[in-house]
Amino acid sequence: MKRIGIDIGGTFTDFVFWDDEARRRVIHKLASTPDDHSRAGVGGILELCDKSGVSLSEIDLILHGTTVATNTLLEGKGASVALITNEGFRDVLHIGRKSRPLNFAHNQDLPRQSRPLVERRLRFGVSGRISAPTGEIVVPLDEKAVVEIAQQLRAAQSVQAVAICCLHAYLNPAHEARIEAIFREHCPDLFVSVSHDIISLYREYERMSTTALNAYVGPGTSEYLSQLSDGLRKLGFGADLCLMTSAGGVIGVGEATKRPVSLLLSGPVGALVAGIQCATDLDIENVITLDVGGTSADIGVAPRREMRMKHLLDNQIAGYDAMVPMCDIGTIGAGGGSIAWIDSGGMFRVGPQSAGAEPGPACYGRGGQYPTVTDALVTMGWYRQEGLVESGLEIKRELAEDAIRRRIAEPLGITLDQAALGIFEIAVHNMAEAVRVGSVARGFDPREFCMVAYGGAGGAFAVPVAQQLNIRTVVIPPTAGVGAAGGLLCTDMHSSRQTTIWRRLDEADVDSLRDQMDSLASAVTSELIGEGLELEAISVRFVADCRYVGQGYELGVTLPELDDAIMWLQSTTEAFHQAHRRAYQRAFEDKPVMLVNLRAIGVGQIPPIGQLEWVPTSTKSSAFNGMALFPGAQTPQWLDTQYFIRDGLESGARITGPAILEQLDTTTIVPPGAVLNVLPDGHLVIDLQEALAHAA
Amino acid sequence: MQPDWSAAWDKASSTAVGKSNEQRWQRVAVDPVTVQVVGGALRAIASEMAELIFRMAYSSIIRESRDIGAGLIDFHGRQICESDSTPMHCGSLPAYVKGVERIHQGHYREGDVILHNHPYHGASHSPDYGVLVPLFIDGVHIGFAGCTGHMVDIGAANPGFSVDVPDCFAEGQLIDAVKICDGGQRVQGVWSLLMSNVRTPEANTGDLEAMIASCELGRDRFAGLTRKYGLDVVMTCVEEWMDYSERLLRQRIAEVPDGVYQAPDGWLEDDGKHWGEPLKIATTVVVSGSDILIDLSGSNEQVSTGFNCPFEGSVLPTANFAVRSCLLPESAESLGVPQNDGAFRPVHVYAPKGSIFNPNPPRGCEARFTQINRIPDQLMLALADVLPGAVTAGNSANVSCFVYSAESDAGADDYWVTVEVNEGAYGGSLQSDGLDAVDNLMANTRNNPIEEMELTSPLRCEHYELQDAAHGAGKWRGGIGARKIWRFLAPTHASSTGDNRSIDPPRGLFGGASGRAGSVTHITANGDRHSLPAKISNHLFATGDALEISLVSGAGYGDPLERDPMLVQTDVENGLLSPDEAKAIYAVIILPCGKSLDKEGTLALRATRAEADR
Repeated sequence: MKRIGIDIGGTFTDFVFWDDEARRRVIHKLASTPDDHSRAGVGGILELCDKSGVSLSEIDLILHGTTVATNTLLEGKGASVALITNEGFRDVLHIGRKSRPLNFAHNQDLPRQSRPLVERRLRFGVSGRISAPTGEIVVPLDEKAVVEIAQQLRAAQSVQAVAICCLHAYLNPAHEARIEAIFREHCPDLFVSVSHDIISLYREYERMSTTALNAYVGPGTSEYLSQLSDGLRKLGFGADLCLMTSAGGVIGVGEATKRPVSLLLSGPVGALVAGIQCATDLDIENVITLDVGGTSADIGVAPRREMRMKHLLDNQIAGYDAMVPMCDIGTIGAGGGSIAWIDSGGMFRVGPQSAGAEPGPACYGRGGQYPTVTDALVTMGWYRQEGLVESGLEIKRELAEDAIRRRIAEPLGITLDQAALGIFEIAVHNMAEAVRVGSVARGFDPREFCMVAYGGAGGAFAVPVAQQLNIRTVVIPPTAGVGAAGGLLCTDMHSSRQTTIWRRLDEADVDSLRDQMDSLASAVTSELIGEGLELEAISVRFVADCRYVGQGYELGVTLPELDDAIMWLQSTTEAFHQAHRRAYQRAFEDKPVMLVNLRAIGVGQIPPIGQLEWVPTSTKSSAFNGMALFPGAQTPQWLDTQYFIRDGLESGARITGPAILEQLDTTTIVPPGAVLNVLPDGHLVIDLQEALAHAA
Repeated sequence: MQPDWSAAWDKASSTAVGKSNEQRWQRVAVDPVTVQVVGGALRAIASEMAELIFRMAYSSIIRESRDIGAGLIDFHGRQICESDSTPMHCGSLPAYVKGVERIHQGHYREGDVILHNHPYHGASHSPDYGVLVPLFIDGVHIGFAGCTGHMVDIGAANPGFSVDVPDCFAEGQLIDAVKICDGGQRVQGVWSLLMSNVRTPEANTGDLEAMIASCELGRDRFAGLTRKYGLDVVMTCVEEWMDYSERLLRQRIAEVPDGVYQAPDGWLEDDGKHWGEPLKIATTVVVSGSDILIDLSGSNEQVSTGFNCPFEGSVLPTANFAVRSCLLPESAESLGVPQNDGAFRPVHVYAPKGSIFNPNPPRGCEARFTQINRIPDQLMLALADVLPGAVTAGNSANVSCFVYSAESDAGADDYWVTVEVNEGAYGGSLQSDGLDAVDNLMANTRNNPIEEMELTSPLRCEHYELQDAAHGAGKWRGGIGARKIWRFLAPTHASSTGDNRSIDPPRGLFGGASGRAGSVTHITANGDRHSLPAKISNHLFATGDALEISLVSGAGYGDPLERDPMLVQTDVENGLLSPDEAKAIYAVIILPCGKSLDKEGTLALRATRAEADR
């Protein structure tokens, strides 16, 4: 099988080609074309095919990560949407959960009010009501009113999409289904987004917001996807195009067109997926991924190589609530471009403001006045002009030093070295704190994990962040610079369906549960078969979102096979007590457990890619002997440091820090005492055991 | 000018609790990077403590409304760090510590858990349980991990709460610094006593467990931090952050011209029993250098119902909020000052003993939010002329809080009790409209999903929208309050506290119109409407009856004739304003067909109006 991963980001579009038979990997990088992302996408795929010596028609699968839906939302360029809901509830979208994001401020921006996904004049309430908990219809739907609204919207031609969300539709979708049918009949051209189909879970505001988001980004995303797939088809591509979701799997282009909301938070997922694959290849049990770019750092924590999902209520994007499954990835505003500053109270801070691509760090000499993390790394001798020649970037060390001296060192009365190292260490600690939130706060001990680094600045940060957390091993994969695109090649096909059950486990009707599980399972299975997967490649697992009766926040528990009803109930209950104990250090074993939501997650396995033998591409391995700045016991110290050309290192090479490995898209730092090994497949493994002992 | 303000100043308290010279740590030299790093860790500890409570708690007032606070306090009672949950809870913990210390006098053991809710000894009000767990480092008592959380029922005369009660004893069980765990051992007798005197023992037990878990987490995280950096370094960083917060706030206060600023007298409708007898709120703000005093002298004397405000646990944190949120607001870029002792040092508040803001025991003082939420509003009205860019026009500045209850099935010992905190609305400001239907000022809770209420309670919601009625007009209009209707599917008792602002609606600023008063209506099954006061005590709704709550809208800022006609048109299109109102209030002419704007007609009409005004 020949496949291509393509990840379109704001600045760069990354491509990776993989051929199972020839056992070959080819990497390509292109500047993104934000006016029409499909241009760089299609063009780059052709160039990649050329570079790989294959034709587009030979490609069996294209896996794609896109920020098109996300950017549509961030730029406020979504569709004009109408909303149909119950009479008396058209402002649920406006009121939300009624809280404000900031406590101590009177003027603050609430996107749900200042930039509503659906204008109030386009939010329609119609008579009709379903009651809880039975799902009984207590007021019939006023179909005539729905028809009138549909006709009126069609006549006005003012909307491109309609969102449909009725109270308790997760218990009984009859009214929503009827409204959908009326709209399909009267307004066949509209993009339709229906709540029980998008996310059939209770909590009306979050469900309505998600449904409206889906409608808002729907028409634009569909257009992009059809342009891309048409463009590829015209050039001879005849196989499948799949899209990365925020849950860490891929879905077919048809499904993505129907549910673009599931693509919204997919950006940071690729590196986590790649990290899990890397852990599998190296037989590492628990993995933390650290993906550091220019403006932000993404942190993923995968115990036992499992992706964990965020709680559905915690998912927000650009201030809008999106109740869609999303990998638990923490993002903080700390990257190479983060600006160091002294605030009006005299505190030394780094970020969250970033110098961005323009003007960029001071050392780029493009007018940046503020010292950034990159300037600190340049001042410390970690980044040097000669090591970045290939990237085409020109850096001026004196500008970096000058900015740090003027804006940090002099005001604080510290040396330039202390200031530069201070900037770096504050950024390191911010990242370490974010890793702690993703691990310790969730009941996982980071010392039992291995860290895998991605992104341009990942190789500089991974080791010190790991040291903060007493992590002993850091891995830099051979494709660290194109982590997300690499991750696309390691994904599986996903399909998920969920429903609200709302029953105590000890009162659960197991037969009816079994029916519900069967119907969810057949829905996900048939979707995957529809995407061309063989039945044998498909597995379905169930997650129950449970809580103690009376609590309000669920914990997800993977369900055992439902063979014996009593055993099943017992082990599910026990699994929940355990999850509760892990999360909160205690369980209430005598308390009844409520099964709130049932989710079926179907995985269609795409054959994994194998490992490659590392072949150096450069004849030279040692670049330079120089001095680099490292933390000392009391003050920073300049140490004799060896600079290596990463692409020239043979497998089996062993390097003791201090050392710096330079390559096109990332720089890896080996601090004093740490030992780096080049594995046969090109992974760099840094052992911190010695360095940790050294520090202690 | 109030002549004796300097006397008031001398008597004013700030929340800084008495400091003893006893030192259990040394202030040492710490580099700026470490200060930053430890500060980040402390913030993370507080937020992790709060997050745990939200997720683990039982009652919706805690888990959905998030009516809690959590953080670390040193043994002096100085706040080290606190979560940014509900502002009302931020800053009340030091007063709890003071109340507890009064009893225990420094005698704590590892493994103690202390429960406190006495409103005359530091509690915010009696339903806000405070849990404290002592922090010991190498056997030395350093301080406490603590949290506060609103219990749904604490065994008051009526389920949940009610305003019409004779004294604080009728407001529920008082717990005065009681150890519920002693040296690691649960004191079963106390737990049994606590839970056998409330209507919702299951929820209270779950909530209390969550609060204890949160404090233990805070304790363990703090111990981890001191293991890593050493106690002296950590506590030096704490001092640095306190000084930092103080410095930032003082900078802003110093920018306000020195002077005595008087807010117009505010009025509350009644005390929940003596209908038609309004209560006065007098507010003088004194700025002197980098200190600020809110003097509430002249406000109503204490009332005989539960409508008084505990001074230390409620009025002090509110004064701090009022100053911070106006002078040093948070923004997306800057999180303002960290919540710690330093943020309190420049802020002083005075209320005479025996007044509604500083009552004497045993007066009831459970229903205090409506009154204290007027303090930040009054402060802004007082400072509007000197800080036109920092204030808002009059806010809803109340809190409409309802409790619904019924006995569960016959014979069950548990009640169904649900507390609902309704939203308010902001006044307009220099550059923006007020926020619609959102929690206002000291309140920042979340609503319960309607679907959850209906899944768990015999209630059905029939309406939850913005009101279509005219709002507080202005160049920037006031936020619009919501209207909500609950239908009762079983006989239900309801109590409430609040103020409809009917006799003193939110005040407009610089030519803006007043906000709109709220209302509470009992609609019987056959459709008859009966107006109710904002404060009802154990009022019975029969099956099929409904309750309509219309919430207060904020006031306008600036002359309505200066409002951008396009914004007026948008409000008309969105059904928030009729074309007639647009013409009458804003002098904006909307063409009947297509609702488009008549630009020339509007210009002409506005010119005529301006001429007439002259």
